[in-house]
Amino acid sequence: MARDLAIDLGTANTLVYMKGRGIVLNEPSVIALNRQTGEVLATGREAWQMIGRTPGYIVAVRPLRGGAITDFEITERMIRLLLQRVGVSRFTRPKVVICVPSAITEVERRAVTDAARRAGAADAQLIEQPMAAAIGADLPIDEPVGNMVIDIGGGTSETAVISLGGVVALEAVRVGSFDIDAAIQNYVRREHGIAIGERTAEEIKVAIGSADPVGDENEAEVRGRDLMSGLPKTVLLNPEEIRFAIDDVVSSIVASVVRCLAKAPPELAQDFLVRGMYLVGGGGLLRGLAQRIERETRVPVRMSPMPLEAVVLGAGHCIEHYDALKGMFMGVRR
Amino acid sequence: MTIAVVVIVVIVVIGAGAFLFFGQHKPDDGVTSFRRHIDALSPEARREVIERVQNARESGKGK
Repeated sequence: MARDLAIDLGTANTLVYMKGRGIVLNEPSVIALNRQTGEVLATGREAWQMIGRTPGYIVAVRPLRGGAITDFEITERMIRLLLQRVGVSRFTRPKVVICVPSAITEVERRAVTDAARRAGAADAQLIEQPMAAAIGADLPIDEPVGNMVIDIGGGTSETAVISLGGVVALEAVRVGSFDIDAAIQNYVRREHGIAIGERTAEEIKVAIGSADPVGDENEAEVRGRDLMSGLPKTVLLNPEEIRFAIDDVVSSIVASVVRCLAKAPPELAQDFLVRGMYLVGGGGLLRGLAQRIERETRVPVRMSPMPLEAVVLGAGHCIEHYDALKGMFMGVRR
Repeated sequence: MTIAVVVIVVIVVIGAGAFLFFGQHKPDDGVTSFRRHIDALSPEARREVIERVQNARESGKGK
């Protein structure tokens, strides 16, 4: 008998929760393929290490962009391999709950459920990421009070107001931490004339990136390829220029939080001043982001205790209480 | 013989009626269903899942 699964199919990472067991898989959403034969060479962490470092015949790709499936066939293969790794076979077909961005289109929704069913799931249901995040962040969403959750993922940022087990207001933008990495890449290319890879940009973000000035700021030495000479070159970057480079992306995330606050009913809006808003998702770990949102909204911002796992935890809870919570799945509305 | 057939038919009909009456899953009314939904979202209901992952995380850190 297969154990049912909850999957956080994120642009950056895929997490799998198994009923009765907990999180059994946490890996980057990357797949490496042989370009000529189409054969899968690696998935997850192993494939992530190949990004930008592969010979011509290998391609390491992220099949999800902006929270949406960009390549249906590759996503299906990735899901199938993930399910195989957690013990799903053609004889053990589990029920699966998959977390997806709330702004997903009908076509994308069908693409995800079809991919999961073809990959071996007996039944595939979808749940909105901010709802799952609020459950996983341990917010009192069963009470008639305003709970606000900001989920900043790799490709999407979603803000939701939740009360009495349902979404009251929602605002989503297809902007996330990968856009921050891309902004750093573009800035370094434009201002310093060197080309850097996706992974280097991410390392810069983690080392010196911030959304608002924070204490203890250091410079970082960055190595890349000089665009003029084609030779390796080293430059020094400081946190202020990285803040400038990523400001457009950060501003659009903050603007979506403000729009969501504006949509909230006044009775719930007053709760936010007391209870604050909760940040989840890997993008929420950007230094100074909570401070920046707090400064611009004048509402306290708190970090969830398990920001990276909150979404899959919420979906895991839904798989543990499947019958009672099936009304929360997308397309199964009360 | 005929009586036996009649008895069997009656038993089958009563059995089928009872099965249909008691066997059918009666859908929850709105209040019960909503209560079940809210109860399943209570901090107590969520405790087990959160603690399971927290414990796994802590034991992973300890290694």
